[in-house]
Amino acid sequence: MNRRSAESQAAIIGLGLTPMSLQPGGDASALAAHAISLALADAGLTRADVDGLLVNSSQGIRPDRVGVGLARADGFGDLRLLEHVEIKGATAVAMVQRAVLAINAGLATTVVCVFADAPIQPGGSTGSTYAYSGGNDGLRGLERASGLLGSVPTYALMANRYLALSRGTENDLCAVACSARSWAVGNPHATSRTPLTPPEYFAARMISTPLRVLDCARPVNGGAAVIVSSRRPVDAAHPPVFVRGMAQRHPMRRRRAPSESWLGGHADLALNDALKQADRTRQDLSVIQLYDPFSVVTLCLLEDYGLCAPGTAGEVARSGALALGGDMPLNTGGGQLSGFYLQGMTPLAEGIIQLRGAGDQRQVPHAKTALVTGLGGRADHHAVLILDREAA
Amino acid sequence: MNDWLVADALTPQTQGVLAPLYQAASRGELALPICAACATTFELDQGRCDVCGAGDIAWPLVDPVGAVHSVTTVHRREPGLIVATQPYHVIDVELTSGHRLLMTTVTPAAHPPTIGDVAYIEFRSVGGVAVPAFSSSPPNPDPEVVT
Repeated sequence: MNRRSAESQAAIIGLGLTPMSLQPGGDASALAAHAISLALADAGLTRADVDGLLVNSSQGIRPDRVGVGLARADGFGDLRLLEHVEIKGATAVAMVQRAVLAINAGLATTVVCVFADAPIQPGGSTGSTYAYSGGNDGLRGLERASGLLGSVPTYALMANRYLALSRGTENDLCAVACSARSWAVGNPHATSRTPLTPPEYFAARMISTPLRVLDCARPVNGGAAVIVSSRRPVDAAHPPVFVRGMAQRHPMRRRRAPSESWLGGHADLALNDALKQADRTRQDLSVIQLYDPFSVVTLCLLEDYGLCAPGTAGEVARSGALALGGDMPLNTGGGQLSGFYLQGMTPLAEGIIQLRGAGDQRQVPHAKTALVTGLGGRADHHAVLILDREAA
Repeated sequence: MNDWLVADALTPQTQGVLAPLYQAASRGELALPICAACATTFELDQGRCDVCGAGDIAWPLVDPVGAVHSVTTVHRREPGLIVATQPYHVIDVELTSGHRLLMTTVTPAAHPPTIGDVAYIEFRSVGGVAVPAFSSSPPNPDPEVVT
């Protein structure tokens, strides 16, 4: 993919994560600006060094969504690249892809990719925020009139369908949630850091069968920024992380007989493309960072990406392979379930941290190659990165 | 009469792409979209045929019978939007026409159906708008005329 020397290849050289708050406070634009400042300091750069800004905002209907106006408000100078990128939950990965392509094409040198959200507002839960989003027209209007509010019931339908076809049980979901928590214990940015046992999991509040509250992502008020650049600042805090492979797939899965409504969709083809570019195989993946808004999504994606045989993801989870110390390190910061839900920035940030060797208590020994994925819509959009400590 | 599940705030807008569905539902009939050229089953918000490329949509009446593709029981009841006092079921029904349609039960139900169960489509009224709803038994025949 890259034709440049290792010294000038597009690489991730900066990462900024704000505190992940479970309390109301801060608007998305301010959180985005804070994350950018942290990422620039991490990279040893200033805003004057930036010539590209890519912005990703939440899909919720909120007035404080981050937009391209952030460039002016946050004190950037003239830019060569400025875009609001939108592929739902696949956007964070897509922003990095866009940045790499722009740098390789000579359209920019140093690109900031940022996402921030503040769904926790005074006087209401995040569940209420999502329940009141969606409107009354079109297909969503009909679905909402039928009681399908927010995203949990939709993924609950996916979960029950998946469990029926795979002959799985809620123990499979429990294993995913407990595995994620085992990693989150060692992540200072994680929102839930006490070990989780199966009895505690099954005692948790049910939201929409079979999904309990512990099967669902943990929304936060927070921001994350990543800097992609061909520069290698001498003051950078960490060595560069290289983007060796990248791909997308947007399956036009039809929700009609005899297709499945949510399952399948050739995500494996995106991974195949990215691995081929990276000159890597699935066996080379040291860590796997999946977009996991719900526990069942982890199971579905493991199979969809060809990381385990169809119908066996539950067995893999129950074996402990996905947990701290397991032989398939997955969502090693606790993912979106026990870490924090900043959409695609959650898996992206953790992939970078692991390849920097900066994971402290949760560090996977000798992590060298990371899979980072994004997932948008109702499993309609897949975006994949292969990150590596070595340049192509 | 108010709906058993949702508040009037969730009354769907009947104009737009789903207008033919709501017009048929107001008569107690189920109309769903197909390709006017090749009769491919469309998703509800599909505007062009993915098989033949035609852009004309037809909304024929379809048999209001199908099977449960998936189901969930929703325990979280959002204040101001959900008026039901007990958990409710959302069912993804695959109709014999090939369409998939999400709906709740026509009246409160203690137990959810199982994937694969037969589904009969009736209608609820939400803010005066008829919307499809699930029933596990066929509609009652016309009541006997008493003279």
